[in-house]
Amino acid sequence: MAALLRFEHVDAGYGNVRILEDLSFEAEYGQILGVIGPNGCGKTTMFNACIGHITPTSGHILFDGKDISKFSPAKRVHMGIGRTYQVPRPFENMSVFENVLVSAVHGAGHTERQGARIAEEALGITGLTEKAELIAGSLTLLDRKRLEIARALGTEPKLLLLDEVAAGLIETEIKDIMKLVADLKSKRGLTIVWIEHVIETMVGATDALMCISEGHELLIGDPRAVMDSREVEEVYLGASDEEVNAA
Amino acid sequence: MSKSSKIRVVVILAVVIALYVIPQSPLTTDNTMRIGLLIALYCTLGLMWNLMAGYTGMVSLGQQIFIGIAGYNVAVFATTFGLPFWAGMFCGAGISVLLSVALSFLLFRMKGMYFAIATWITSEALKIIFTSWEFVNMGGGMTIKLRPYPDVFELYYISLTLVIGAFLVVFFVLNSRIGLGLKAMRDDDDASAAMGVNIFRAKLLCFMISGFVTGLCGALFYINQGSIFPGPGFGISWTVAAVFIVIIGGIGTITGPIVGAIIYVFLSEFLSQYQGYSMIILGVIAIAVILGLPYGIVGTIERKFGFEVLSTRRTMKNLLSGGRANVDYSRGRDLRVSK
Repeated sequence: MAALLRFEHVDAGYGNVRILEDLSFEAEYGQILGVIGPNGCGKTTMFNACIGHITPTSGHILFDGKDISKFSPAKRVHMGIGRTYQVPRPFENMSVFENVLVSAVHGAGHTERQGARIAEEALGITGLTEKAELIAGSLTLLDRKRLEIARALGTEPKLLLLDEVAAGLIETEIKDIMKLVADLKSKRGLTIVWIEHVIETMVGATDALMCISEGHELLIGDPRAVMDSREVEEVYLGASDEEVNAA
Repeated sequence: MSKSSKIRVVVILAVVIALYVIPQSPLTTDNTMRIGLLIALYCTLGLMWNLMAGYTGMVSLGQQIFIGIAGYNVAVFATTFGLPFWAGMFCGAGISVLLSVALSFLLFRMKGMYFAIATWITSEALKIIFTSWEFVNMGGGMTIKLRPYPDVFELYYISLTLVIGAFLVVFFVLNSRIGLGLKAMRDDDDASAAMGVNIFRAKLLCFMISGFVTGLCGALFYINQGSIFPGPGFGISWTVAAVFIVIIGGIGTITGPIVGAIIYVFLSEFLSQYQGYSMIILGVIAIAVILGLPYGIVGTIERKFGFEVLSTRRTMKNLLSGGRANVDYSRGRDLRVSK
C-alpha cells in the first residue's frame, strides 16, 4: 500500500454536531499533502480525528495499513503520528526543553537521558536551542509555533500533522517555517499533512493539495490544478470575490 | 552530585534526624508531641491532595473517603475483632486503594469541577451508608478499643515515618517518567495525550497512591482521636484542611505542604478557643494569602529567588552531561491563576 494515512468515508464531530461527512483521502509516503478549505469546513476536526481526540461515528482511519479509528491518542502517537495545534498549546509551566522531553519520553518511548538527546536535536532543528530553559509560557507566537513543531518531532513521527503553523506570522517568519517544513520532508523523509490558509505557501510547498468543503473532500490533486479549478474558486475564493464586489 | 545539592541533602538529613531525636529530650511534653503528630498527619494529607491537584490537575473534594474508610477499618478491627491497630490501618489503606481503582472508571470520565463534585458526592454517599449500617453502629459511631492503647510518642514516630515516606513517594513519582507526564497533563491534558502520555494510567497511579497514603493517615488520625462518627469521618472538612494547607504553602511545590501544615495546626490550636469563629478566621486568612501571595508562601519565595528546595525540573544540561543549569523564572509568565 502506498498510503501512510487513509480516511475511508469518515463521519465525525463533537456531540451531536457532525463536522466531517463522508471524508475520504489518502496521504502517500514521503508526500506533503496540503489541506485548504473555508473556515469551519472541518480541517482541524480532521486532525482531531487523526490523533484520536474524537472518534469517527462511521468510516475508518487507516495508518500504515492498520485501522486506528478506535485507538487512544497515546497509542496513535506511539505508532508514529505527531501533531501540532493551530493555537499553540505548550505546557505553560514547564521549560521549553521539558515540553519536548515529554514527547520524546512519552511519545517516542525513550528514557529521559536518551530523550534529552532527541529533544536537543528537535530544538536545534526548530531554532529553539537558546531558549531551552525558558518557561514555555513566556515565548512569543513564532517561538510557540516552533515549539509545537519541536514537540511533534520529539515523538519521532512518521506522519506529521501541521495545523496552520504559518498563520499569524510575518512574511520572513513564514519563509523560515516553509524552509523548515521542506527540510523535514527532504532530510527526514517525513510524510506531512499541512493545513494552511496562506495560499501561496500551499502551491509552492506541497506535492498534492486537498480542498475540503463542508466536511467532505471537494478536490484532491496537483496543487496548481486544484487552486485553478472552478469548484475551489467557488467555495474558497468565490465568497471573498463577492465581498470585494459588494464593497 | 554538585556542591549545592550535597548541602541540601545534609540539611534535609539533619532535620529528619532532629525530628526523631528531639522527643527524647526531657523538655517535650505530651502536648508538644500531639502537635508534632498533627503537623505530620496534616502535612501527609496536604501532600496527597497536592499530588493530585497540584501535579496532575485532579482537584479532589473527596479525600475524606479514604480517611473515613480507614478510620472505620481501625475501629472495626480493634473493637469488633480485637486485632492490633496496624492490621486495621493497612487493611483500611488497602481498601482505599481498591476503592480508588473501582471509582476511577466513573470519576476519570469527568474533568475539573465535575470531577471535584463527583468525588464529594461519593464521600457523602459513603457517609449515608455508614450512618445506616448496623455493623458499624449506624450514626452512633464507634469507639476504638485497643489494649494497650498506643501513646502519643508511639503515634508521633509512626506519623513522622509516614510523612517522610509520603515525601519520598511524591519526590520519586515526580522525578520518574510518569511525573514528567503528570506535569504536562496538569498544564494541558489533551495536548499531553497528543504527545503520547497515557492519561488514564498516570491519573490512576496518582489516585491509588493518594488513596493508600491518605488511608494510613486517616487511620492514625482516628487512633489518636479514639472514636469515629460517620459525619465528621466522611466530612468535607478533611479536604478543606488539605486545600488550605496546600494553597497557603504553595500548590505544585513539594515543600509547600510542610509550611501549610505547620501554619494550619498552630492556627487551629490557637483558634479552638474561639468556637464558631475559627472557620471564618481561617477562611479570611486563606483569602488574604491567595490575594497577596498567589503561589503560596513557598511558591512565592521560590519564584522570587529562582530556587527550589526540592526540584523536579529537568534541564538539558543536566540530562545530557551532569551539573545544574538555572531556569529563568523571571521571564516566565504563570497561567495557573488565569486559567
